[in-house]
Formats: sequence, structure tokens, C-alpha cells
Amino acid sequence: MKRSVLLVVNGDKHEMFIEPNLTLLGLLRENLNLKGAKEACGIGACGACTVIMDGKPVNACIVLAVEAEGKEIETIEGLAEGNDLHPLQRSFVDHHSFQCGFCTPGTIMTAKAFLNRNPKPSRGCQGNVNSHTLMTTIFQGVNKRGVADHE
Amino acid sequence: MSEFRYVTKGINRTDGELIVTGRAMYACDMELPGMLVAKILRSPYSHARIKGINTDKAKGLEGVKAVISGADIGYRRFSFIDTPAFPADQTPLAVDKVRFAGEEVAAVAAVNEEIAAKALDLIEVEYEELPSVFDPEEAMKEGAPAIHEIVKPNTTTAWEDFGVPSSKSRPYKTVNNISNKNLIQYGNIEKGFEEAEYIREDRFEIPSTSHVAMEPHVAVASFQPTGKLDVWLTHMGYEHKRFWLAKLLDIPISKVRVHKTYVGGAFGGKISIFPFEFIAAYFSRVTLRPVKIILPREEVFAGCPPSRRMIVYLKTGVKKHGRITAQQVKLIDDVGAYRRSSPTALYLAHFFRNPIYSIPSIKHEGYGVYTNKLYTSAKRGHSLSQMVFAVEAQLDMICDELGLDKVEMRFKNFRKKGDTLPNGDKLRSYGLPECLKEAAEKIGWEEKYGKEKFRGLGIGTASMFSGAHNFPFSSAAMIRLNHDGRMILYTGQTEFGIGVDTVMAQIASEVLNCPLDYIVVNSGDSEVSPHDLGNWLSGGIFVSGEAVRRAALDLRDQMLKHAATGLDIPIEDLEMKGGWIIPGSDKSKRLSFSDMSRYGIQMAGGDPFIGKGYVKCVPEVHFWKGKYNKTASLSSGKGRFTEAYGLTLAIAHVEVNPETGEVHILEIVIADDCGTPINIKSVEGQIMSQAVMGIGDVLYEEVRISNGIVMNPNLLDYRVPTANDIPKISSIIVDSYEPNGPFGAKEVGESPRAAVISAISNAICNAIGERIYDLPMTSDRIKRALRSKST
Repeated sequence: MKRSVLLVVNGDKHEMFIEPNLTLLGLLRENLNLKGAKEACGIGACGACTVIMDGKPVNACIVLAVEAEGKEIETIEGLAEGNDLHPLQRSFVDHHSFQCGFCTPGTIMTAKAFLNRNPKPSRGCQGNVNSHTLMTTIFQGVNKRGVADHE
Repeated sequence: MSEFRYVTKGINRTDGELIVTGRAMYACDMELPGMLVAKILRSPYSHARIKGINTDKAKGLEGVKAVISGADIGYRRFSFIDTPAFPADQTPLAVDKVRFAGEEVAAVAAVNEEIAAKALDLIEVEYEELPSVFDPEEAMKEGAPAIHEIVKPNTTTAWEDFGVPSSKSRPYKTVNNISNKNLIQYGNIEKGFEEAEYIREDRFEIPSTSHVAMEPHVAVASFQPTGKLDVWLTHMGYEHKRFWLAKLLDIPISKVRVHKTYVGGAFGGKISIFPFEFIAAYFSRVTLRPVKIILPREEVFAGCPPSRRMIVYLKTGVKKHGRITAQQVKLIDDVGAYRRSSPTALYLAHFFRNPIYSIPSIKHEGYGVYTNKLYTSAKRGHSLSQMVFAVEAQLDMICDELGLDKVEMRFKNFRKKGDTLPNGDKLRSYGLPECLKEAAEKIGWEEKYGKEKFRGLGIGTASMFSGAHNFPFSSAAMIRLNHDGRMILYTGQTEFGIGVDTVMAQIASEVLNCPLDYIVVNSGDSEVSPHDLGNWLSGGIFVSGEAVRRAALDLRDQMLKHAATGLDIPIEDLEMKGGWIIPGSDKSKRLSFSDMSRYGIQMAGGDPFIGKGYVKCVPEVHFWKGKYNKTASLSSGKGRFTEAYGLTLAIAHVEVNPETGEVHILEIVIADDCGTPINIKSVEGQIMSQAVMGIGDVLYEEVRISNGIVMNPNLLDYRVPTANDIPKISSIIVDSYEPNGPFGAKEVGESPRAAVISAISNAICNAIGERIYDLPMTSDRIKRALRSKST
């Protein structure tokens, strides 16, 4: 039995009529044609599908679209301000923080949620870019294998 | 390196913005109007005769557009290797019987995934189960269940199509499940062992590991009413894909277009053709609608080939001072249900490690053996890691037995720069001794070795081709000048994580001495780019990059020649700099590249200025209409393979908890001879990612198969390293210059993984003072080894 959901994605309101078993990832990729979040494992183990829901990172492949009712979703497509990359995106480019890039949108969204909670994680350093430098060093190693455990 | 302007620099990826905004288009992102979704029914049995398939109910389901089984497709055979001696043994859908659990039996194309899945449930297959054999050494015995009786080619083989000199294709009769074998010998093995003062014999076993490319396997196919096939694939080079799609569908190669896609990792796992790709194309042809197949991760694990399972019997003879006199290898490649690349693997297992040590006498015999398990294939350094794992482990054991210094022993046996290998390959660059020297210093070998309880040090080595003489045997590139003075560079290289567009632009910019953004790269489109070797056997930079360099040189020469005529100034007086052609005698007469485009059109009869460049993998190898020279043989190892070898040496420092068996890697140092690094940052990234992959190979990873069933087909049960597992990893690029490579560059994308695997595993064994012969070295295995030591 289809149900209607209302959610906000990257600031845009969407009212949709969907199957109850549709995942948030399915809604984003198939219904809204936002292809940035990727499916790599389908069981919430790898983080390639990470988007931000009401400020928290979620694995969109194991969140039902109906759970997103009334929520604000941020995806990689909404991160840049017009033509200006978000500092995290810039930092990923400047630090060679990706190879094949398949998990990069999910990794960046995880990092963004982390920095939202924790805007100055490294003592005395200048916010995002520098703290991201540290994360990049970690991610450099894992990004091809991509299994970025969020914890 | 300072004389370079663009090459060697760690320039940011020119397509970086595309990736970080989620705009890079992967095959799984492709949408086309009216696109159908296809799904595959796979065998639950590891060995069974198919007595009948009824697809009527599935066909009757609303929304289903086509259903096929092996009976519709018949014996259209394909394989990674398809030679007259080893003809292709696999079909896209099982015809008469299934040979592994997970084999493709039938497929459905429907308007959406849900309907396709429902339709699969409605397909009725009647199986008659047959006895299975899972252990390759059992499978080789008389009386074991026969998996393939006889393979009868019904077309020419791929090698005949490629023009490789060989006899006509003939049936392959399988005896004792042996799918293929090879024998490589040189020196005098008996005499070599007679001269030895110490001989060791050991057995090692290496399981399959998955590539875990983050993007699962995907095919999107769109067959046009005009007879053309457009495809978007997860791949590592379009030539093999379009060759096989054309052959299996009986359409001209030129009518198959492999479009550019970003590929979410490959590591050898996406090479050559797969059944699902044929199925997507076939469905598109019969429905005249675009068709998409995305394999779920479980099907990638249980239906697509992981790395090769190998058993290595190794016998080495040495003098008391450590010089190796002879080495004998018996290699058993447990190929699974289909042979795929095993003939290649068996010879690569020898040749990838041949440049490391100078061993006067070698006997290397290999057997590919069919079993009723998931078939296997290449993974980053095809067979290299399996072989050097065994060789380096045994060298460490020999050193322990004879009280030899492990560093010195390796120095004593290394080959030398300028050496010619027994098959004629030359080591024009050879930085392995420098790698060992620098890595040992960096990690503090002398200060630490043997002085720390439950800590250990281990060395690993590796070498790898820089491209090999395989179809299409050469790479070419084109570069075209535009009205604005910018250039479009066409290369067939595929982007699956190596930064192709960036490094190729760096090479062209270096030659043309123009800003990097003057070069727009169009890569990986089979209809636009000239032929290309593809991104496997590590020929990307050495072969295709050199083709780009030569194309840029050709364009440069054309522009300078016309500039000299146009300005009436001798060509020797002209210099290219910063996107200008500048006469040394009168700089005010300088011409922009845009001026040259106009000159070509207005004054040179409309000349568009197109530069072309091409490189043969091994120039001296050729075959054409009965003329041939130095053609390589997979079975005997004779003939030339490559023009340059990349080399790696890794040292790992680990700590083992004797109570829990847990390994804590303290540090890994990887010294690499890749010649000139074209982009230092991407070279470091390549090395880093292989170190991480190697950690997984040693500590955790194994595609566990029990009674033919893959037991861990998902990313929760199949553990790979995550951020918390990454130790301090340093890379050292030793000073080296490969004379035949573009600006002195050669391979870097495959050999570090093998070196890291050996280094970590040797370090673990050094830490616990006991040898473990099998991978992975899990905490359970380590605890067992420690227990056996104490009893």
C-alpha cells in the first residue's frame, strides 16, 4: 500500500507517493535522481550511501523512506554553495583524498556531520580544514577500499 | 626531478570537483528512457545436471519483457584466455549443467526490480545433483568427479581472432580435472640442488580474497535499431569488453561503443567479460530497450571471481653463505568451475617475481585444477602476491636455520641493473637494492631486529610488468588543436581511481610546455579514442602514457614546422613556452597556439593539427601473416613479455599479543622503484591503498567456501581494514629512471600489495618465532602457532 511522505532534501520540499519498503537511498537515487549517494553493500556496513538526516549521518540504504517523513535531508548535491565548493569538498580535492571516488560523497557527508557536532576537534587548529587534514590522512588509506567505519 | 614543470608534481586531480560534488557518472548512475531492469537466477547446487527449465510462468507475469535460459543462448563460449590449446570453457548461462553454486542459470528483464525479482521466483529448474569435488588435490586424482569432460570450440578462438600465430582451435579433453598446465625451466635444476649446501621444502596455501571494489559490478546496455550497441560498464579497459560483446552477439566490434564512465574501483576484478554483461546486451537486443543490471554485493561475492586460491610447493637450495643455487616450484591453482585466466596466472606467478632474485636454475611447474567452486581471477598483481608470499617466507626460514642476516641474504641474491632475464626481458632500471637499503634504514632494522619481545620485522619484495604484449598489443593517443589554442587529448585509458585525466594532461603539458588547463582530456570512450591496452598488467603510464607523450610531440613538431614557415624563421630558433611559440631572435613575433590554429586553417589548406602517438608493448614482438618474432608462450614461458618492471620492497614492524593472538602493526615502510613518478601524490596514493589492501590480505580476508557455498558474502562477515586498522605507513620513491618510459616512468599500481603481504606475514612469524604457512594470519591461527611452539 503506497504512502505519501513529505520531506525536505537540500532545502527543497518534496511530497511523494511511495511504497513503504522503499529505502531513503532508493528515494534519493531513483525518485529524485540524486545519484551522489551510492549503494555499495546494501546493509549499512560501508557508509557509501551516507546522507545527513536532521543533522545526523545515516546509512540511507537501511533507512526507510517513510522514516524520513518531515525530516531534513542533506546530500552531497546540496553541499556546495552555487559554484563554491564547501571547505570539506575543497579539502578533499587539495589533499588527494580519493582515488576512484565512489565512496567520496558518503565519506564527505560523514565528515560534515562529524564537524557539525564537533566544529573544533583539534586543539588550537582552525576548524574544518585543518581537522579535515587529519581525517584525510586516515581516509587516504581507506578510501579505495572505502569501508569507512564512522565510529 | 626539478627540470620538470608538470610531470612529477603532486597536481590536484583535474576532475576532483566532479568527484567531490557527486557529479562523476558511474555506470550504476546511468539512466536511459524506457530502461528495463534485469536480474539473474543462480544455481543453488555446486554440481548438477539441468534436466529442464520452465520459464512460462515468469514470462506471463505482468511487467516482464523477456526471460532467457541457457537453452536460448546455447554454447556461446567465452573466457579471459581463449587460445587453441586452452579454448574458452564458459557460457553466459549454464547449458547442460552447473559447475558451481552461484552459476548463472536464467535471467529476467522487467520494467522494475521488484517484478524482475518476482519473476525469478517463478522460474522452475529441475536439477539432478552430481557429486562435487572441492579440494584441488583431490580433484587431480584418478576417479574424482569430472567437472568438464571435453570443451569443443564452435568458433575460432580469441587468439586466432587477434592473429596470434598458433594452430587451429581444437577440442580440449580434460583429464583428472586439469584445466591447464605450464612448465618453465632454465639452468640445470639437478645440478643446482647438488651444489646446494642446504635445501628446504615447504607447502604454502593462499585463499581467495575479494577485490571489494566499492562499486559493485554493473552493466547498462542499449541496443539501437540501427544495429549499434551502446554500453556503460564497470571495467578496466574497453578493448576486451567490446571484443567479447561483439563476438558473443555476432556484431562488428566497431558497432559496440563502450562509453566513458567513472568506475568505482576494479583491482583486477572487472577485467574481461562477465555473463551479466552479455545478458544485459542480449536483453537489450531482443527488447530494443535499454537494460540495466546492478549485481548486489552478495552476487559480487558469490558469483564473480575473487583472487586465485593457490597451493605452492616450494623447494629452495642455498649455499651456506646464502646464495640461492636452485628453486623448484609446484604451483596448484584451484581455478574453480572455469579456467578463466589460469594459463596467464601460472606463467605470471613465475615472471612477476623473476626480476627479484637471480637464481641460476629454476623449475616452475603449474597446474590449473577445476573444482566445484566459484571460479577465480586476477587481483592486483595477478599471482604475484601468492608466489612471493611463499618465496619470502621460505627465505626467512632459511635465514633463521642458517643464522643468516635477512637483509644481507637478499642483497646477495638480487639481480642487477642491466641484467637480461632468461626470456630476454631487460632490466634497464633496477632500484631494488636501493629500496632495501632505504627501507631498512628508515624502519631501523639494525637497531630493532631480534631485540624486542613479541615484536618482529619482516621483508617483502615484488616486481611487476609495465604492460605486456596482450591484446590489443599497443596503445595509441591523439591530440587535436582547437581554435582557442587549447587541445583535446584522446586516450583509451579508463578512470577507476588512478587519475588518468590528470596524469595524461601532465604528460602532454610537459611536452607542449603549456598550462595544464590547455589540455582537455577525453578518456575511456571506445568510439572516440584509438585502441588502448587498458588499465591492467600495469601498462597505463608506461605504454599509454608514452603514446600520449608521442602524440604531444607529434603535435608540437607540426606546430613548430608551420610556425617556422609562417614566420619565415628557422625552426631551430623557435621555442614553445607557456602556450606560445617564441622566436629566440625576435620575441615580439611570438605566436599563440590559437594563432597556429588559424594558420593551419587559412594558410595550410585547413590543416586541423592532429598529433598522434603510438607504442607497442614490446616492440620486437610481432606476428602478421605467418611472420613472427619472439611471441610469448604461456606454457613454456619463452618469448618476450614486457619492456620494464616496477619493483617494490616493503618492511613491516609488528607486535603480537601472545594471549589473544592479535596483531598490532607498528609501521610499514614501502620503498618503490616506479621510475619517475608522474604525479607524486597519486603515486603515494597507489602505494598507500596497496598497503591497506595488503593488511586485509594478511590479517582478515578470505572468501570462505564451505561445501561449495560462499559463507561470508557481505561486508559484515567479510572483514576489510577500516580507518582504525591503519598504522603508520611511509613510502619512499627511490631515485630511478626507466629509459623507455615517458619521462622515465614505469609501473606502480600493482607490485606494492604483494611486497606488503610478505612483509607483514614475515614480521608476524618473526614476532612469534613460529611459521604460519597459510593466509590469512588470523588471531586464531597465531594462537595455535604459539601453542604448538610451547608444546
